[in-house]
Amino acid sequence: MNKLYLWGIIVVAIMFGATAYTLVLTGGGNKSLTDILSGDIVNALAITGAAALVVITVFVVIKYVRQMQVDSATGDLADENWDGIGEYKNSLPTGWAVMFLLTMVWGMWYWTIGYPVNAYSQIGEYNEDTAVHNAKFEAKYKDITGDRLVEMGESVFLAECKVCHGINADGIDGKAANLNHRIDAASVKHVIENGSNNKLLGFEMPMPDRNGLMNANSGYAPITDAEIELVSRFVANGMTGEGAEVFAGTCVMCHGADGMGVDSMGPNISKFDTVLVTNVLTHGKKGMIGVMPKFDRLNDKQKEAVGAYITNISK
Amino acid sequence: MFHWLEKHPFFFAVGVFIAIAFAGLIEILPNFAQASRPVIGTAPYSTLELAGRHVYIKNSCNACHSQLVRPFKSETDRYGHYSLSGEYAYDRPFLWGSKRTGPDLMRVGNYRTTDWHENHMKDPHSVVPGSIMPAYKWLFTNKADIDTVYAEQLTVAQHFSVPYNQDVPMRDGSVKNVKMAQSLSEAHEIALEEAKAVAVDMKDQDVKDAVSRGEIPEIVALIAYMNSLK
Repeated sequence: MNKLYLWGIIVVAIMFGATAYTLVLTGGGNKSLTDILSGDIVNALAITGAAALVVITVFVVIKYVRQMQVDSATGDLADENWDGIGEYKNSLPTGWAVMFLLTMVWGMWYWTIGYPVNAYSQIGEYNEDTAVHNAKFEAKYKDITGDRLVEMGESVFLAECKVCHGINADGIDGKAANLNHRIDAASVKHVIENGSNNKLLGFEMPMPDRNGLMNANSGYAPITDAEIELVSRFVANGMTGEGAEVFAGTCVMCHGADGMGVDSMGPNISKFDTVLVTNVLTHGKKGMIGVMPKFDRLNDKQKEAVGAYITNISK
Repeated sequence: MFHWLEKHPFFFAVGVFIAIAFAGLIEILPNFAQASRPVIGTAPYSTLELAGRHVYIKNSCNACHSQLVRPFKSETDRYGHYSLSGEYAYDRPFLWGSKRTGPDLMRVGNYRTTDWHENHMKDPHSVVPGSIMPAYKWLFTNKADIDTVYAEQLTVAQHFSVPYNQDVPMRDGSVKNVKMAQSLSEAHEIALEEAKAVAVDMKDQDVKDAVSRGEIPEIVALIAYMNSLK
C-alpha cells in the first residue's frame, strides 16, 4: 500500500473524530452521537453528505497525485500543433458523454413537460397569486362580525382613508368630511341650497335644490333662509333641538321621521350606517368640501368593515 | 470555414453580431410592436394635461415617484391595476422613474382629487403628517408654458401619428376625442377652458383669480395631469 493512502485514511479519521467531538460538544454534553443524528433527518443527511464529501475528496486527490507521480503521456498526437504545443486525440470520458446525453434528455423534458414554451407568464403567476389570496381572504374573514369587523375597518381606514380624513377621522381641519359626526350644519345647508346627487343609495336619486324643497307646514311654500338655518342645525345636532317642525314639514318624506332614511327614497342623515358608507366607497361623492374618489379596489368585506368602523367611531 | 473564422477575429465578431442581432430581431421586435400599441382607454394628453406633464418633468417628480405598477398583489392592492406597455404609448419620454421615495403615481387620478393635490402641494404635512415631500409653493405663482405644449402636440401629431382630434375608444365603450388646437392662440384658449374646470374645485383665491384673468398657474396644469393618470 502506498504511503499516500495511509495518510489519506489518517486525515479522514481525524476529520471524523473532530466532527463527532464537536457534535457532542454542541449537542448538550450528555447526549450520545446517535441521539443527535436520530433527532432530525436533516442533521443525519447533512452529516452523511459531509462525510461522503470528505472521503471522496481525499481519495480523488490522492488518485491524481499518484497519477502525476507515475503516469507518462500516451496516445496519438493530433496533426495540428500550436506554436509547438500539441494535443492528444483522446476520446471523450464516458462520464462526460453520459452527462451530455442526460442534459439533452433533461432539455426535452424541460421544453415539453416541465416548463413548456409559453406555459409561464408573469401575469399568469400574478393571477394565480391573487386568486389564492382572495380565496384565503374569503375563507378567513367570511363570517367575521362585531369587534373583529371594526378592527378590520380600522386597518383599512388607516391604509386608505386617513390620507384625507386624518388618523382620527376628523377630516384634518375641514380638508375632508369629519367622520366622527354624520354631518355638520354647513354641509346640510350646502346640500339644501344646491341639491345633491351622490348615489348614496347605490343608484341615482337626486335631491332637488332649495327651489324644489317645500315646507308642508307653511302651505308648501319653498323653504326659507331662516328655515334652512334651523333645520341645518337640527340635523347636525343629531336630530335634536329646534327645527323639528321644518324637518317634519320638508325632509320627512324622503329621509324618514327619524332621519334614518327611507328605502329607495333618501339616505340616512341621522347617523352613519354600513350601507351608506359602502355606497360612498363604491360610487364616490361630491359635496361641499370637494370630490371623494370611489374606492373600488376594496372588496365587499373591506367596504363593510370600513362601514362598521365609521359607524362605531361616530356613535 | 471555421478555421478561417478563428484566424480572423474581426470577421468572427461580425458573424457573432449578425447571428445575435437576427435572433433579437425575430424574437423581440414583433412582440414589442404588438405590446406597445395604445390599449383601449389610453388617450393622448390634452393641452393642459401635457402642460402639467412638463411641470412634472421640470420639477423632477420622477426622481421620487414612479409611474409603473408591477404585477404583484402587494402593488395592485395599493396602486391599482398593473401597468401595460400600451398605456405609455403617448408618453414621450416615459416617466417610469427608478426609485420610489414617494408612492407610485401611475393611477393617482383614481384615488386623489383636485382639492387634495392643492393642499398637498402647498403643504404636504397638512394632509400627510411626517411626509418627507417638500412643499411646491412656486407652482401656485409660476405660469404654465402653453407654447411648448402646442409645439409638442403639433410634432407628435404629425410625426408620430398621435390621434389628436380623432375618436379613441375608452374602457366603458364610449369614445374620447382629444382636441388639439390649429393655432397657438387657440391652444391658449383650449388650455384656459380646461384650467377653469380644474380651478372650480380649488380653494386658493389667488389661483382662482389668475385663471379668471386668463392666466394658467402651473399648479392647475399639474393637477389636470395628476387627475388624468388613471
